[in-house]
Amino acid sequence: MASGSSGYAAISAKVRAMYADLLTPQDMARLSESPDLPALVSGLKSTAYGKYLSSLRENELTSRRVILQIRKRLADSYSSVVQQAPEQSRSLIRQLFRYFEVGNLKAVLRSIQTVSSWGSSDTAWDRVHDVLFPLGSFSTIPAQAMVESGSIASAVELLDGTPYESTMSFAMKRFSAEQNLFPLEVALDLDYWRHIWSEVKNLKGRDREMGGRLIGSLLDLNNLMWVIRYKIYHDLSEEELINYTLPFGYRVRDEDVRSIAAGADIAATVSRIYPAISDVNALLERPQAGLPKLEYLLKQQVMIQCVSAFIGYPFHIGLPLAYLLLSDFEIQDLVVLIEAKSSNLSDESYRPLLLKTTLIQ
Amino acid sequence: MFFPKEMSEVELIIPSKDLVAVTKALSGYGVFHQVDSANLGVEGLGPNTWQDNAGQYSNLERRIQSIFQNVGLAEEYPTRAEIGSMVDLEAVRPKVDQIEEEVRAITDQLSDERKRLELLESQLRQLEPIADVNVEVDALRKPTFMHSILGIVPAANISRLRTSLLRVPHVFFILREDAQKPVVWILGSKRNSDVLERAAKSAYLNSLSLPEEFSGTPEKITEKLRREIESSKQKISGLEADLVKHGESHKAELQELLWEVHISRVMADAIVRFGQLRHTYVVVGWVPTADLEELTTRLKEASREILIETTRTSRSGHHANVPVALAQSKWLKPIQMLVGTYGHPSYGELDPTLLMAFTFPLLYGAMFGDLGQGLVMMVLGILMHNKIFMKGMQSLGLLIAYCGASAAIFGYLYGSIFGFEGHLVEEYLHFHFEPVWISPMENILSVLSIAIDAGIVILMIGFLLGMLNSIRTREWAHLLFGHSGIAAFLFYISFLAMLGSFLGDTALAPKVAVAINSLPLPFTTLLIVFGVFVMFGGFFRNMVEGHTLIEGKGFGGFMMFLIQSLMDLIETVISMLSNTLSFIRVGAFAVAHGGLSLAIFSLAGEKPTLGFWITIILGNLFIIGFEGLIVGIQTMRLHYYEILGKFFHGGGMQFEPLQLKSSQKDA
Repeated sequence: MASGSSGYAAISAKVRAMYADLLTPQDMARLSESPDLPALVSGLKSTAYGKYLSSLRENELTSRRVILQIRKRLADSYSSVVQQAPEQSRSLIRQLFRYFEVGNLKAVLRSIQTVSSWGSSDTAWDRVHDVLFPLGSFSTIPAQAMVESGSIASAVELLDGTPYESTMSFAMKRFSAEQNLFPLEVALDLDYWRHIWSEVKNLKGRDREMGGRLIGSLLDLNNLMWVIRYKIYHDLSEEELINYTLPFGYRVRDEDVRSIAAGADIAATVSRIYPAISDVNALLERPQAGLPKLEYLLKQQVMIQCVSAFIGYPFHIGLPLAYLLLSDFEIQDLVVLIEAKSSNLSDESYRPLLLKTTLIQ
Repeated sequence: MFFPKEMSEVELIIPSKDLVAVTKALSGYGVFHQVDSANLGVEGLGPNTWQDNAGQYSNLERRIQSIFQNVGLAEEYPTRAEIGSMVDLEAVRPKVDQIEEEVRAITDQLSDERKRLELLESQLRQLEPIADVNVEVDALRKPTFMHSILGIVPAANISRLRTSLLRVPHVFFILREDAQKPVVWILGSKRNSDVLERAAKSAYLNSLSLPEEFSGTPEKITEKLRREIESSKQKISGLEADLVKHGESHKAELQELLWEVHISRVMADAIVRFGQLRHTYVVVGWVPTADLEELTTRLKEASREILIETTRTSRSGHHANVPVALAQSKWLKPIQMLVGTYGHPSYGELDPTLLMAFTFPLLYGAMFGDLGQGLVMMVLGILMHNKIFMKGMQSLGLLIAYCGASAAIFGYLYGSIFGFEGHLVEEYLHFHFEPVWISPMENILSVLSIAIDAGIVILMIGFLLGMLNSIRTREWAHLLFGHSGIAAFLFYISFLAMLGSFLGDTALAPKVAVAINSLPLPFTTLLIVFGVFVMFGGFFRNMVEGHTLIEGKGFGGFMMFLIQSLMDLIETVISMLSNTLSFIRVGAFAVAHGGLSLAIFSLAGEKPTLGFWITIILGNLFIIGFEGLIVGIQTMRLHYYEILGKFFHGGGMQFEPLQLKSSQKDA
């Protein structure tokens, strides 16, 4: 315990200070009132995102550029937390950060698939660059070279020596046969979550408990949404659903996933796992609109876990993890706001999608 | 030497019986540029058997070339290749057939063996992952009543794969435990094959296919495969050696056949383009007049009944259809290449090669004047030209040697050796070396002025040559009112006089311009008069040539004409000024060369230590490579933009004589 206290004392204090800089639901409501994108950016400049947006000129304001800039804050937060975190927890935090690299890798592969419609590969990289998460030196993938390679096979060859080499070499056989990115993306997701879960299992004591709770909650969200989406949209068989999901998590058990895969009532299973989520049946009746709503509710469950991590004994990995996850959710909210303001969407069309509401302080 | 060779048009009427002999005479001498009879309106009579023959010779030539390739021989003609008659296709074909068959027997075996080796290596690659699995391969292959899947699966997926198969009866073996690539074998009932396949696929199982013809354990099979691969490689080596041996034994015969078929093909191709009458052939072409007599003698030796009609073509006037043969000199080849990049002279037009052979090294040397570096360049050029260094760049080597020699002469005149100038030569090289003419670094303005003077002289020569060309081509309107005609030249002279008057006694004033200004002539009036001629040059040209004076009609057309004329004048003045000032770069580069050497010295320091000399050597190498290249580009630019444009138009048709080459390289 003593080593835990001393190890987490500094990071705990720092994270608490950073936590105070997160936007409040009132901030979010105020930003939502902005009539357009320039007004929103102007509002954001008076928050902790100000220093990331100060370099943007009025005439350069595009949603893509603003999103890129505000994501830099999250990248800085990860970098800062990794540096100050105790040795035993760094590996898990790094693996959590790798989530964005997996996202970048998927974006790169998708861009290669559609590059022919963009003309030259130079244009392609310009387009892709702005949508990639700004990982900086943390990135292990040669993104530009991959985009410019012009084919999925050549791009995947460039991953030799990276953490994705083995996974992609297995998945490429299927890509070659099916010419579809689905197997590549599923393989990347499964590999990512398996790795992060094994990092959680490597922790000890309260770290393992808190890591299991927070990462497990996030994994629950993904695992549950995968099995539901694969079943409803892709109509996959039981054995495929089992192979495309994971047997661990915080609340969602392997039996739950397998029962859904075997044909059990999805709404009943979800309601049993999350009694707080009401009317799941209604959501699943119209999956097009219902599934994003369900995902939104599941994300709020994760947020609740994150907020609760700040209550009670503070010297464990839960605080930095919770802060990083909350920062990510905050940026997801801001992305919704930015896109909504740049597209002049009505309030009622995007407000229900904002995660940070007065329910979650 | 200054103009393309004078050409004569030759028209031949050849009796059918002497066709081959005459064609041989025409092709063998390499002076006859053939004109396709289709362009003369002479139609052949009925189906042309020569067309078929040419096709068959071409086909045979390709087959022989293919044999050369298969036996690994370089395509060469016999050392002493003589131009015989056309070979009889029926006589040659069986010989080619026989050699081709012998070679094919080996190449087919070789091809089969290579395919077999590829297959064996692929099978080995398939089996390598299970090489240490102690199971009979027969048992792993698809059994009759069971569905079997053998493959490699990511280790992390094994547990999930097993879970996904729980609802169907199956047997799951992990044949090889491996952290990266474990090998698994799944067996289930045929009834559940779709479930098994879906599960395997979604767990990213990559199937292994086992060779049907092998039995036993994978270890035994891989051993056997390795032995067979080794034996296959030996067999391939043996067959390759056989091919080489076969090629060597037939080398002389193949070279002879290739030569005979080649000359036959060239002659047949030529005959195809002859005009065919009932009993005769009509051939039209061009021959350099100097070679006409010898060709005529040879043709008469080949056929007593041949009718030869020749017409000398004057080099005056327009002759767009006359091929242009330039004087061949191996010493001028690099300069001809430079001229060729700009354009091929038209018939009767001045060939700028000789002029450029003088001005190119001159301007290069003036910009890169250094005795030591020039001599190094010259030696490098000579080595390149003699194929001792950078083979295949002989012509460039010669150009570098010329430029190096000129740079060395100018270095002597400038008093510069390896960047050392003035007191530095005495201090570091311990001998006295003073500039014989001028030191660019100490006389910057004078050097720039001299450069402009040189440019003015070169431009004037350009104007005069342009006028000469107009006289030869009898383009009187252009001679009088063209962009490089008399009016433009006199306008340029008046312009220079005004420039000389304006700059007066300043150090930068071009001496030539000042000298022109000192002549007792009313240059202001002349400038206005010739300015009017230049401005309305188009109008006067139309007047001389009898065309419509002004293209547009009415007031609008007249205004357009006035504006266009004014723009012509402005453009001429600007181009004259820029052409003249462009030569300032010659002086500027001569100064920059000294400046760059000074920079190297400041890097090297003052004391003549080892480091000093290493810096000086590296600096000199840098200057030779870097500045040498830039000066080369600038020299080319001056010629292409400022000099050649004044008198050289190009656009001539290249002289391409019928030729039977005796060396493959030339061919």
